[in-house]
Amino acid sequence: MLGSASTLPLVRRIAGIVLAVLLIGGVVAAVVAGRDNGDKGTATKTVRGVIGSEKADFFADPDVVKALAAKGFTVKTETSGSWAMEGRDLKGYDFAFPSSQAPADALAAKYKVRQPLPRPFYSPLVVVAHRSAAQVLADNGLATLDKSQDRGTLKMGAYLDAAKADRTWQQLKGADKHGELTGTLYIATTDPETSNSGALYLAAASYVANGGRVAASSADVARTAPLMHKLISVQGAQQSSSDGPFRDFISGAGNPLVLVYESQVASLLLEKQPVGDLVVLYPDTTANSDHTVVPLTPEGRALGELLSSEPTLRKLAVRHGFRPQGDTAEFVAATAAHSSYLNQTLTGVRQAPVPTSTVLHDMARRARG
Amino acid sequence: MRRLLALALGTAALLTACTSTQDTKTETDNAPRPGTLRVLASSELSDMTPVFDQVRKDTGITIRPTYMGTLDAVDLLAKGKVDGQYDALWLSSNDYLRLRPDAAKKVVSETSIMSSPVAIGVKTATVTALGWQPDKVTWSQIEQAVQDGRLTYGMTDPARSNSGFSTLISVASALSGAQSALTDADVTKATPRLKEFFKGQKLTSGSSGWLAEAYQRRGNVDALLNYESVLKGIPGLTVIRPSDGVVTADYPLTSLASTDTTTRDNVRRVTTDLRTAALQKLITTRTHRRPVVTSVPPASGLDTSRRRELPFPGSRSVADGLLESYENKLRRPSRTVYVLDTSGSMAGDRLSRLKKALTALTGDFRQREEVTLMPFGSGVKSVRTHVVSPGDPQAGLDAIRADTKALGADGNTAIYTSLEKAYEHLGSGGDTFTSIVLMTDGENTTGAKAKEFDGFYGQLPAAQREIPVFPILFGDSDKAELQHIADLTGGRLFDAQKGSLDGAFEEIRGYQ
Repeated sequence: MLGSASTLPLVRRIAGIVLAVLLIGGVVAAVVAGRDNGDKGTATKTVRGVIGSEKADFFADPDVVKALAAKGFTVKTETSGSWAMEGRDLKGYDFAFPSSQAPADALAAKYKVRQPLPRPFYSPLVVVAHRSAAQVLADNGLATLDKSQDRGTLKMGAYLDAAKADRTWQQLKGADKHGELTGTLYIATTDPETSNSGALYLAAASYVANGGRVAASSADVARTAPLMHKLISVQGAQQSSSDGPFRDFISGAGNPLVLVYESQVASLLLEKQPVGDLVVLYPDTTANSDHTVVPLTPEGRALGELLSSEPTLRKLAVRHGFRPQGDTAEFVAATAAHSSYLNQTLTGVRQAPVPTSTVLHDMARRARG
Repeated sequence: MRRLLALALGTAALLTACTSTQDTKTETDNAPRPGTLRVLASSELSDMTPVFDQVRKDTGITIRPTYMGTLDAVDLLAKGKVDGQYDALWLSSNDYLRLRPDAAKKVVSETSIMSSPVAIGVKTATVTALGWQPDKVTWSQIEQAVQDGRLTYGMTDPARSNSGFSTLISVASALSGAQSALTDADVTKATPRLKEFFKGQKLTSGSSGWLAEAYQRRGNVDALLNYESVLKGIPGLTVIRPSDGVVTADYPLTSLASTDTTTRDNVRRVTTDLRTAALQKLITTRTHRRPVVTSVPPASGLDTSRRRELPFPGSRSVADGLLESYENKLRRPSRTVYVLDTSGSMAGDRLSRLKKALTALTGDFRQREEVTLMPFGSGVKSVRTHVVSPGDPQAGLDAIRADTKALGADGNTAIYTSLEKAYEHLGSGGDTFTSIVLMTDGENTTGAKAKEFDGFYGQLPAAQREIPVFPILFGDSDKAELQHIADLTGGRLFDAQKGSLDGAFEEIRGYQ
């Protein structure tokens, strides 16, 4: 039973945050079915979009295809790194669907798209840890654990102080009981220059390091650059997609603390996959992956609005671990059985604003360099 | 267009040449076929055949692997020579690939399929003698045992083999005491300790397969460093993941920017299939690798206690610097005799190919290496030894090139008499990796006979019997005769009849 369910999350993340736009194999080709209401004159419209790869499985989900077809849409998608969309000629596409607001705003400005942009769903960045690591963090004032022990809060200020001081696991009390907890304490992320989650990590960390203000100028970037560089350089080689580090974590390898999207954990839980002694740590200041539609044609805008408002599609987004915008009720209801792992209402989680695309690029470049 | 194609085919031929004769899965015809994925893969993946068969049953897609070392594969990718030749890449890790922007930009997506950490497989008797508790052994303890002369080991060549490269990173990270990703300063600081550590390396190999064979044949090497999955397949080893950290291979199946939609869709379908519970189970049961889905537990015998993951270097200068340091400073130097057939039949094209291949090879000799050229016809014509000295490496290399240029073809073919001379020349190996390369284009026609050589070899002192002969099949040479020499001496046969002479010489480097 579990076995048959296990393919879904895998499909979802096959494509990494990519370096170039690719034609996705899983082009969504809805069967143009006659509509039940007998509205014979309505043929489906084909809309084409460039999407962030973590949504590829959502659009490939047969139930999503069906729900879109019922509303008269056949959606064809190609995946692209959210940060690579700016470098693309999007002529001929109806919409772009990056995973973050900053690249969406940059695209909207470039193509003179009317604001506001539809933002159908989002997912906060979280840190996954095994119980041992989470407990050590809690015992040393770097995190607090909820009663369930399956989730907790990572204190970003304390964590950044530890990073600044090159704190190692060995220096934390209680770590010596766990052989794997040695070496510099850090959160493993993807490459911020190519991957959305890595870039959003810098957005959240720089916001905290900058005294609760979003980095807006080159002076802000310069001020936080040494710490950002430290956060990235200690990691050595980084992966280009958030799937990689998460898989390493699951297979028992990899770093004790890994930055992932909440949706990655939620979809695993919703499929009733065993998660072992995984603990979800919500940073007290985090950044959201705001999946934002940039409509390039009226059809694109109609699709964006449909994804935001249509109840079936919102429900299907939850199936893939995303949080529909505007109302937490759907997510809360669907994840009721997993509330020990998920902070359903994101209580106590502050949301860091994301710097503009230009600032974030600059920050990532200096952090890697 | 035609030239491009010719170049492409040339590359394909070279790749074929670069794979050993034993675990070759390649076909010389590398043309694309519908329903087939041409995958450039790490050589350890040759144990995945039963999995590939299942993928074909599940998806109708045939995986056609070509096996190659990570660094060579990344180089090929960066130079654009993978474009149009391969449909996907499947290395043990893309960490090194990502350090090279020219290679990284050719990749569109990657999905980890399974994992295996670097480990040390130690003879069970040695574990007992050292009083080790397998789950508590650290790299420092291993280092101490080496220093005390109580532990010797074999590992694959980091410049040519994925497992060797990961092993080198693991050892360097652990022994440098670096708390985060290795830097150039860490490597410099760790050099004296690493040098001591690598004194314990008694076996080197271009591939994991031959390493295991040589280990079993030798019988006097205590341990092997390799991926856990490889070590689990060798009987009699206690597999230890050092408790202070390892580097783990995560085998990402990678699709390429140069491929079309259909190909990428096929890669996606294969990926999806490989991540199903059924295939993850098959993988862990058959290959001792660890699953990457939560619903499938690792195969029995794979210890699930956690280990620190040592970070892979974040810059190419550190990775390449470490490799260069290993080759030129850390490892024991090699001593090699090249027994080269320059009989009459080599005249003309064959001799010029030999000269070209040898000259090309001089670019690859390491510092401190001792190279002896021993051309023969009716007997050994000359014995010329050169050392690539760290102070002036160019002088030694120039001398080898000059001797190569002067080679002339005449006389009969005294294979065995010349081999005996090579053994006599080498004497006992000393503190080096010692081997003999035999290149001949024909059968033995004069001097000692095969039987006599067998007798000669059998009477050598044990230390000398450890010197392997690596024969190269070339021209009209007799495969059975050369295979016998390889088997007798614990060497390995390389094929330059199907592939190129350059490719064979180059591949043997991994064993020297």
